[in-house]
Amino acid sequence: MMEDQEEKGNAENGIGRQKQVKDEYLLQFLDSLDGYLTLLDSLSSTLSQGWLELASARHAMGASRINGALLDLKVHAAATSLKVSEQDVDSMESQPCFTLCKWASSDNGERSSGEEKSLSPQLRHRNNSQLSGIISSPVSFSHFFNFFLSCEEEKVSTRTGTPLILVDQQQRQKSLSVFGVLVSPKLRSAQLSFERALETLVEIANLHTTMLSMFEQVHKELENTNG
Amino acid sequence: MYGFEAMTFNIHGGYLEAIVRGYRAGLLTAADYNNLCQCETLDDIKMHLSATEYGPYLQNEPSPLHTTTIVEKCTLKLVDEYKHMLCQATEPLSTFLEYITYGHMIDNVVLIVTGTLHERDVQELLEKCHPLGMFDSIATLAVAQNMRELYRLVLVDTPLAPYFSECITSEDLDDMNIEIMRNTLYKAYLEDFYKFCQKLGGATAEIMSDLLAFEADRRAVNITINSIGTELTRDDRRKLYSNFGLLYPYGHEELAVCEDIDQVRGVMEKYPPYQSIFSKLSYGESQMLDKAFYEEEFHYGVFFAYMRLREQEIRNLMWISECVAQNQKSRVHDSVVFIF
Repeated sequence: MMEDQEEKGNAENGIGRQKQVKDEYLLQFLDSLDGYLTLLDSLSSTLSQGWLELASARHAMGASRINGALLDLKVHAAATSLKVSEQDVDSMESQPCFTLCKWASSDNGERSSGEEKSLSPQLRHRNNSQLSGIISSPVSFSHFFNFFLSCEEEKVSTRTGTPLILVDQQQRQKSLSVFGVLVSPKLRSAQLSFERALETLVEIANLHTTMLSMFEQVHKELENTNG
Repeated sequence: MYGFEAMTFNIHGGYLEAIVRGYRAGLLTAADYNNLCQCETLDDIKMHLSATEYGPYLQNEPSPLHTTTIVEKCTLKLVDEYKHMLCQATEPLSTFLEYITYGHMIDNVVLIVTGTLHERDVQELLEKCHPLGMFDSIATLAVAQNMRELYRLVLVDTPLAPYFSECITSEDLDDMNIEIMRNTLYKAYLEDFYKFCQKLGGATAEIMSDLLAFEADRRAVNITINSIGTELTRDDRRKLYSNFGLLYPYGHEELAVCEDIDQVRGVMEKYPPYQSIFSKLSYGESQMLDKAFYEEEFHYGVFFAYMRLREQEIRNLMWISECVAQNQKSRVHDSVVFIF
């Protein structure tokens, strides 16, 4: 009888733990969904602001100074690139992690064409990959991403010894120089808005991957429960 | 009245002054702007403009409209009016009217040179040029590698030739050199225009002095604000300011060392005419000056004032169209300058 009661207690504890794990996955999924929707809204307003600032710059400087015909068609390294790496979620799965390398060519010099090409196959296949990674929750990943960006800003360029913040500023001015060296502050604001929008897009991509992973976990748990 | 213009002006300039005063009556009013600001789509804007003098220029444009199309067609109207005045004008009014377009010519030269540096197609660049600044050999600009060639191959036969003496070098054209060239040319042009108006004398000299002085001051403030945080040195910045205007020379000395907008504001507030209008210094208050000079008669300032007012009107239409197209109607009053 004592053994029966002990077995019953163990079974109840097991069911309770399973329920707790299921609730955790569900909460994480809902958290990531909430974060995803918030970021989508933020992206929309940042882009609207950027477009209006661009129109304001055209209004101030004139249509002949700000138009698509001035964009540089010479072959040059991308100022910003996207790095895709694998992160382990648990021992069985991994998921892709997207990192924005802003003004990458300032420190790394000209990228080789082979290196650029190697990024694109990963991007094309990311929807079908079954990669493993370690991401405990979308919130912690988001904090990691922001921490990564802030760490980058505190570093100093290994090539020139200049603080990276100044290197970024110089690269921003270099990008805008297609419209002239003396440009309206509105154009600089538009550039910052679009830069922020790009960062938000990468955050959305990462959060989307996490959300899908959490959804799969919840789905598995439901199947286990029903089975 | 500054001299005896009333006795002689109408002999050669009377017809065109009447024409330009008629054109002035066709400028959009506050009621027109209120209607335009309430439009939901660009087709609504086209419908409202069809009742104005822009109607014939927009009526055949198919939907969906684009903001650049509206600006292009409105600019065509300005060009037609200018060409009508130019072909009817005699000296010295014809030279005066040509001076008004040299600024656009400089912008077109810089556009072609910059676009060529970025390996753009010349035809594509020519389509973006302002029609008032076109000249015959403009496409040949794409061949030049440095400023010396630019001058020797093309610009020596244009009205901009005298302005090149200060910036001829054999250095290859890059973004910084082109920017310095643009501003040096514009400075030389404004000073030359100023001297020409002084030579005309009378009411024209008095009125155009004020208008061009304001233009020079506005330019100085723009250069200062746009160069904050760039690699343009203080000396280079000072060299780009014109040698006339209310801010010359002491205001220029102070502007040359400004490092942020607040310092610029501090400099401008020392000059009574600019104390209250600094926030609208970009274009707004120059339009008030332009309007005021319609109140005098028998001078060429009315032609300059009309061209500037029309250009501001086109900028207003561009801004309203962009706000409507981007669904940002709450921001439409940020940059619209009401002329009447």
